[in-house]
Amino acid sequence: MNIDDATAAANDRLADRDDMIVCVNVDKFYGDFQALKGVTATIKEGEVAVVCGPSGSGKSTWIRCINRLEVHQGGDIVVDGIELTNDLRNIEKIRSEVGMVFQQFNLFPHLTVLDNITLAPIWVRKKPRAEAESMARALLERVGIPEQAEKFPGQLSGGQQQRVAIARSLAMEPRVMLFDEPTSALDPEMIKEVLDVMKELARSGITMMVVTHEMGFAREVADRIMFMEGGEIVEVGTPEHFFTNPTEDRTKLFLSQIL
Amino acid sequence: MAINSPPSIHHERPPLYRDVTVVKWVVQIVALLLTLGALWFLANQAGDNLRASNVPTDYDFLSVNPGIDLSSGIDTDPDTGGRALWVGMVNTLRMAIAGILVATILGVIVGLARLSNNWLLKKIGTVFVETLRNVPLLVQILFYGAVFASLDRVTAEVGPINGWLHISNKGLSMPRAHIADGFYQWVIVLLVGLVVANFLRKRRIAQQDVTGEETYPILSAFGLMVVVAVIGWFIHPIFGFIGGIFEALSALVSSIPETALQFVIGALCLGTSAYWIRGFLNSRRTPAGLAKLTDDDYFRMIFAAVGGVVGAFFFLVLWPGLSSWMINSTSDLFEVLGNKFGNGRSGRPLDVDLPNIVQTGKFPNYGPSGLNFSIGFAAVFFGVVFYTAAFIAEIVRGGILAVPKGQTEAAASLGLRRSTALRRVIIPQALRVMLPPLGNQYLNLTKNTSLAIAVGYSDIVQVGQTVYNQTGKTLPVVSIWMFFYLSCSLSISVIVNFFNVRMKIVER
Amino acid sequence: MQEEDPISVALKQEEDAAPNEAPRLSVLQWLRSNLFSNWANAILTLLGALAAFLMLRGVLNFVFSENREWVAVRTNLRALMTLSYPESQYVRVWVALGFVVGLAGLSAGIWSDWGGLPIRRLATWFMGIGGLIALCVVVREPSVLMDSEGKALSTLEGSLQRESFGAAMADRVDWWIAALVLFTVGAVLWSRYSSVQRRHVELPITSIVYVGIGIAILTLWVVPYGHYAFVDGTYIAESGTTVAFSTQMPWTVMWVLLGLGFLVGRFLRSSQYVGMSKTGSNLLWLICPFALFWVVLRDPALDYGHVMSTDLPMGLAFGLLGAGALWLLTRSDIGEAGRIAATLLLIFAIFNWVAAFFGWYPMLQKARISFLLLAFAALLAPNFIGDIAKRRQLVLGWVGVMALVHYLATMINTPSTVDLQSDEFLGGLGLTLFVAVIVVVLSFPLGVLLALGRTSKFPIFRMLSTSYIEIIRGVPLISVLIFFSVMVPLFLPDGMELAELAAVLTGYTLFSAAYLAENVRGGLQSITKGQYEAADAIGLTSAQRTGFIVLPQALTVSIPQLVGQVISSFKETSLLAIIGLFDFLRVANSVIPAQSEFMGVKREGILVVAMIYFFFNFIISKYSQRLERRVGLGER
Repeated sequence: MNIDDATAAANDRLADRDDMIVCVNVDKFYGDFQALKGVTATIKEGEVAVVCGPSGSGKSTWIRCINRLEVHQGGDIVVDGIELTNDLRNIEKIRSEVGMVFQQFNLFPHLTVLDNITLAPIWVRKKPRAEAESMARALLERVGIPEQAEKFPGQLSGGQQQRVAIARSLAMEPRVMLFDEPTSALDPEMIKEVLDVMKELARSGITMMVVTHEMGFAREVADRIMFMEGGEIVEVGTPEHFFTNPTEDRTKLFLSQIL
Repeated sequence: MAINSPPSIHHERPPLYRDVTVVKWVVQIVALLLTLGALWFLANQAGDNLRASNVPTDYDFLSVNPGIDLSSGIDTDPDTGGRALWVGMVNTLRMAIAGILVATILGVIVGLARLSNNWLLKKIGTVFVETLRNVPLLVQILFYGAVFASLDRVTAEVGPINGWLHISNKGLSMPRAHIADGFYQWVIVLLVGLVVANFLRKRRIAQQDVTGEETYPILSAFGLMVVVAVIGWFIHPIFGFIGGIFEALSALVSSIPETALQFVIGALCLGTSAYWIRGFLNSRRTPAGLAKLTDDDYFRMIFAAVGGVVGAFFFLVLWPGLSSWMINSTSDLFEVLGNKFGNGRSGRPLDVDLPNIVQTGKFPNYGPSGLNFSIGFAAVFFGVVFYTAAFIAEIVRGGILAVPKGQTEAAASLGLRRSTALRRVIIPQALRVMLPPLGNQYLNLTKNTSLAIAVGYSDIVQVGQTVYNQTGKTLPVVSIWMFFYLSCSLSISVIVNFFNVRMKIVER
Repeated sequence: MQEEDPISVALKQEEDAAPNEAPRLSVLQWLRSNLFSNWANAILTLLGALAAFLMLRGVLNFVFSENREWVAVRTNLRALMTLSYPESQYVRVWVALGFVVGLAGLSAGIWSDWGGLPIRRLATWFMGIGGLIALCVVVREPSVLMDSEGKALSTLEGSLQRESFGAAMADRVDWWIAALVLFTVGAVLWSRYSSVQRRHVELPITSIVYVGIGIAILTLWVVPYGHYAFVDGTYIAESGTTVAFSTQMPWTVMWVLLGLGFLVGRFLRSSQYVGMSKTGSNLLWLICPFALFWVVLRDPALDYGHVMSTDLPMGLAFGLLGAGALWLLTRSDIGEAGRIAATLLLIFAIFNWVAAFFGWYPMLQKARISFLLLAFAALLAPNFIGDIAKRRQLVLGWVGVMALVHYLATMINTPSTVDLQSDEFLGGLGLTLFVAVIVVVLSFPLGVLLALGRTSKFPIFRMLSTSYIEIIRGVPLISVLIFFSVMVPLFLPDGMELAELAAVLTGYTLFSAAYLAENVRGGLQSITKGQYEAADAIGLTSAQRTGFIVLPQALTVSIPQLVGQVISSFKETSLLAIIGLFDFLRVANSVIPAQSEFMGVKREGILVVAMIYFFFNFIISKYSQRLERRVGLGER
């Protein structure tokens, strides 16, 4: 892999931080199709990593392996020092430390916005209800929709739903946030409101791993961009390196199609 | 490339009680063992209790005269318990098949009536459906039974058309066509005709596809069948030689050694599980070699293997009688078939008898020569037919409503006539939606015939109850019921699935 | 069961579209477009009209025939309702009914706004019913002439001699009056309002129903409905006071209770205790069948010595010690020790049952049940770790459950003071309703478990549930019931007994659960994968995921199918008549025709039974359609 000066600088900046997510030779098969081919990467604490690539390249599969929505079949995944194995306790711990935002929002349609957010803090983190609710209201304030607390998800627009989903994940006070194409299912005019929330989050210093096609977002806030194709990480670099001077042909081709 | 160098990871095996896979499989296996244990315990208990009460669980009663009379059926005075149950099964099937046919026709009519734009028909259909659906079937059957029982008594000249059709509190009696000597040879002629007619139909279709002219494939095939049937009526004795073939087959089957068949069955069990495992491994094979198997996969394969071995053990060691039973019954079947074709059977295939009324003792009654339907049959028949028709009507209505309106409009815009649009566009799509619930209703109808017990029609449940009341063999009788009904359910779902698959192919 | 059954979807859409505002047509236009739009249609209409006419005439002639002995039904009304429940204790039946009626009123008040009925609909109904009655009066055959001894007169040719048409019409003057009154009420309503008002002025449905019931009860005071008689303890009929006389007072009380319940419910609805009263009324509905049947109707003769020495201390011990244990198990620092303790408790609880089967050591059934419940509570305990309020919830809940379980168990185990003729303490409609309610309540949890098993990702659970469901669904209910009523004694160890009713209830519950499971499975399959993933991603355990996310949604989706299942369970209680229990169909079909006065009188009773079944089922199904439409609206 090629690293230019900017990337080296970025690496230096990140080098002294702790490892947050470590993946070593992660393999994943669906029947006879290999979705991940020995993915190896480390994401540091407080880093914002954007994963991009053509559809079917395995980026969603990878991110879903990290909180074991999919079970990887080879290699190792370590999140915040906890290895992701068959150990029930480790799975529980990792899931309560890793928040995830889905493409289809996946809010619980039978619960109000407030209940959606407080469910996990109350029943997983064992918080008193009053405390959980006040935190939920604060989070709704933070994502810009404090007035929607009593509504049901079905009554909100797509952008609002996705912001509720972000608030729901944040309510668990996660150390890592995973975003699986958070804007792909949104109408164009709603993408910005979600991206704004994500930018604000990125600046707050939380570790983020984002699968997205929003190159503007990547350029603005990403510490590093990873390009995947065919189940492998093809190229890793800072935004400047990635957009101005990509080394791999496959990256160039992808960028020419998307920009 | 410091940042991407894989750090050394210290692996540790989680303790067993926290390991997802171990927990998952231990829980399941414990549940399985508990279930099997409970079943074993209950069976054991039942065995003890039965032994204590001196009623051994065996099937001897099948070949002993139960000394019972049945109210209706192909044999009202069966000489063995097996025969009695057989009569009950035939009665159930007769009721179920007749019921399915009539209920479907009635249901379709009512369903269409509810869809029509004629206000009166719609209302009549609605009243029909809502009334019959909301009253329990048993109540309906008992009501019909009570109504029929209050009809006039049988007398020597009870009508409506004396000598042809009799309706009374003993039921309905009408002319009967019955199987005579030459029937089975005639069936062979019909089968041959069927093959030829099918061939003709396909040819006609092909011809139509080439020339574009209407060739009426189904009509001509049907005509051919009629011609064959008529000709066969006279020439059927030429197939008398088939009896010899069946007898030879019977001898051939009975010469198979029992142990050989036994080993074949055992090998079949092992082979099936081996085949499954191979297929499973194949499905996990990737171009780059065998994909990594998860613990689940290993457990599955182990289970399949254990299942195969247990099955083989069961058939080889625990139930060695199976093979001799299979050999004997197959041989018997061929022999019976052979007799049906026996020499000198050159009479007419079918005979018709008129009903008669005989004076047995004090009271007149229907004689055996006509086709007699008892009050019980009529009550159950009307009950299941009306009840099921109400449900079928709703299925038909829903199925047709489920076809989007755009389909009708599209067909009209192509210039299809209304009848063609119905036949080629609407009904195929509606049928696809309707088939699964229709199959369910047929199944329900078959099961509901068991309510015959309330009005004394001799279906399998009623006969079974009489038999176990006489012999005390409750468990075997119940097992026969279960076996019979499960086979019925299975057959119906196989048939429905067959059509379902065909419909799906039509869709593409 | 597919994810979304296309047929029910289509029917639902059709029903939703039904109340559209049709363009106003004159009578002639309407007739033309709906009945005589073309030749074929006209012929169909005429044929249909003929068929309807013949059917109506047949039914009327059947119902009003001089051969009908409706007096058999009237005389045996009490047998149909409760069989041989003793006269002297009959007030218990009324108390039980009164409780249910009051609760129904309360729930109706708390739960919902029932909406209104436009004047137009109401007026049309009145006029329509009036017209229908008039039609019936005309269509019915003239009555047969009777001689002075009440025997039908025949002509010389042997056919019955009937009165003339004019005389028949004159004889039915009371029916004419009824028709006229109804029609007039409708017409007056219609003419009092303008066409716009007719459509938009609405009368609340609750008042209409309440007034309707009130009028029906009022008739008990006014109309002599015929002879009731039931000499205490026998089936023999005897002429005496009328049905109306013996029931008018209780029914009036019921009516008042219904109204009071509704008003209280309304008050609670507008007060701050809505949530609490909703939960409360639900709990009461759940408990009341058990309490009413075993406590009120049986009136257990409590042995206070035994209660003081055994029952009370045991209940207290389980309540308090269990509460203490649960309090400890919900400490935040309990960790894995809690799970291990709960598992050990579960093993112990199951072992108690195994030991019971083998007779290793004696233990009261109550204690076994309590241990099992405690084990389940302990398994749930980790969910309640947290602040004091949550821990208190669990502990208080436990104490409440223990109080209830021990109270009911004591009551059920104590012999009844009500002296009965038959083995079962109740027959007739009471037994039918009892069986239906118990089966629905008990088969629900089992069915949900089976459905979860069938959709689980654990292959062995899937295999077990699937084979259970398919085998049960493949055989008819009657064979299952016979199996259980005849065979259960065979499967029990020495010394253990099960009453026939209990055996049948078990069999019926197991049967019903398989069907219920299929309905719930339909709902479960409609839950998207994303919901499971989101629940996993926020760290819920699989029990929490099932309880908070999956089941609430799946059950909501399958409400229509579940109601259908309730209806068919209710309908199939009629099969009890075949296996020898005295439900009200059996009373109509076997008990009444065996009385010397009413030899062979079957059809009347069966018809009444059919009407009662129809009444319940029709109301339930209409209500479910309404409910479904409202749930559907909530989603949008």
